[in-house]
Amino acid sequence: MSEITDQQVADRLPDMWLDRDNVEFYRGLLQRRLLINRCADCGRWQQPPFPICPSCWSDDVRPTEVSGEGTIHSFTILRAGPPLPGVDYASGHPVVVVELAEQQGVRVTATTADVAHEELRVGMPVTLTWVDRGGEPVPAFRPAASA
Amino acid sequence: MGTMTVRYPVRDQVAIVGVGTTPYSRDSGKSEMGLVVDAARAAIKDAGLTAKDVDGIAGTWVRAELAQAALGIPAVNYYLNTRLPPFSQQVVAGINAVFSGLCDTMLVYHCAYRMGGTSRSAGGDPFRVSRRGMPRPLSPFPDTITGAACYASWANRYIEEYGASREDLGRIAINNRTNAGHNEHAAARKPLTMDEYLGARMVRDPLTVFDMDYTIDGADAFIITTAERARDLPQKPVIVHAAVLGQTDHGVEEDLPDLTDTGLKVAADALWARSELTLDDVDVFMPYDGFSVITLKWFEAIGYCGVGEAPGFVMDNWNEDADRIEIRGRVSVNPHGGSLSEGASQSAGHMREAVNQLRGQASGLQVEGARTALVAPGGFFYNAGAMLFRT
Repeated sequence: MSEITDQQVADRLPDMWLDRDNVEFYRGLLQRRLLINRCADCGRWQQPPFPICPSCWSDDVRPTEVSGEGTIHSFTILRAGPPLPGVDYASGHPVVVVELAEQQGVRVTATTADVAHEELRVGMPVTLTWVDRGGEPVPAFRPAASA
Repeated sequence: MGTMTVRYPVRDQVAIVGVGTTPYSRDSGKSEMGLVVDAARAAIKDAGLTAKDVDGIAGTWVRAELAQAALGIPAVNYYLNTRLPPFSQQVVAGINAVFSGLCDTMLVYHCAYRMGGTSRSAGGDPFRVSRRGMPRPLSPFPDTITGAACYASWANRYIEEYGASREDLGRIAINNRTNAGHNEHAAARKPLTMDEYLGARMVRDPLTVFDMDYTIDGADAFIITTAERARDLPQKPVIVHAAVLGQTDHGVEEDLPDLTDTGLKVAADALWARSELTLDDVDVFMPYDGFSVITLKWFEAIGYCGVGEAPGFVMDNWNEDADRIEIRGRVSVNPHGGSLSEGASQSAGHMREAVNQLRGQASGLQVEGARTALVAPGGFFYNAGAMLFRT
């Protein structure tokens, strides 16, 4: 996997507020890897990424790839928004908050794949996948059963 | 509640003595500064004061040093600029600055303005440029619930956990619209039926256009001084009985553990721990309603009912004839129409309404003999405020 520089992360995600605490998260997205900070001392996962572990104050927090397994904690369907390639508000753009299997309360938000809007349910088991949007990889969750 | 379990020397020591507002409209034709100075001048005049009497200033988007310069306020000994939300931060800071003696007369203001990021039609207006980026880590747009989408997502969670329905959200929208119909200051006054609500355009499921605040141009301003000095000023003083803030340690919308551990609850607990008054004393209740689901959560957090019980509470206290909520047949809820119908003021309108109700000068439905008003700003789930005003 070729290295992606900080400047390239900024150029490829121009709308993001990029800083030293979250750049690895975004670099991971561009490499199709979902990286969540994990404390090397106490083992707790933390999202969003902070420069220290909120539980034990360790500075040794490491972006760590997760399994991609989880359940839908909540969700919405966006019916309007600024136009983006590959985003269809007219038929509804789903957004799901997924509680990751790694730790209770650790959640990531993404769109969906391979699931009809009306099938989305709180508590649905899902698996991480990646979709293409305007030439960039974007994380998405699909029903675990179809994995 | 109302048991005064913590130190709170500021209780009843500070008063609101001036209030000013601008029209709420879809396009004011003014800048944000133009709106702020209009509201601020009105508030200062309302208090029977002049610019040189003001010695403290706190505001939101429009920077305090520029507002001070624009208003010709020669010198201040307290200043604060904080971004939204919620508006209560500036109010509470102003109350405490007066109480501590940092200053005697605070000007606190807020301006709402239709921006490209919050209003679709404003997106094409070069004078309303979108503020890009957020200083918080989040999933790349639009696969995020940071901001407005969080209310939709948590509304789905609320519906799922407590067996609530869209009608339960609709009653909040209808209550506020009914009330706004009586308020000439309100921007959206056309009556709303449940059929219209249920048939409305979905914006972010399960929230429709009627579940979202009605964006406006408009500003409100308040003059805060000591209760002692208030007695020598022309307006009937509105005493700050208690004003508090509350915030959880989960500063991202996704990360609240559940619907019980909210900033609303932290603020409500802090309020009642500092208040001699109780919920039974409240004559008029102004919960924030930037989205309908927030108001449901406020009924629960402030203590009218348990978690998940707000839908039943609203139904039990619904006046069919008047088509609005009347708690225990008596207490009005956002009688001005709130952000859903009077206009999206981020709670500044709610505070103005509290002052006007307690003065007996409401622009719409006046609660007869109102003596205690409860304003509950904040709706980002992780932070909020709560303020009890009395005559």
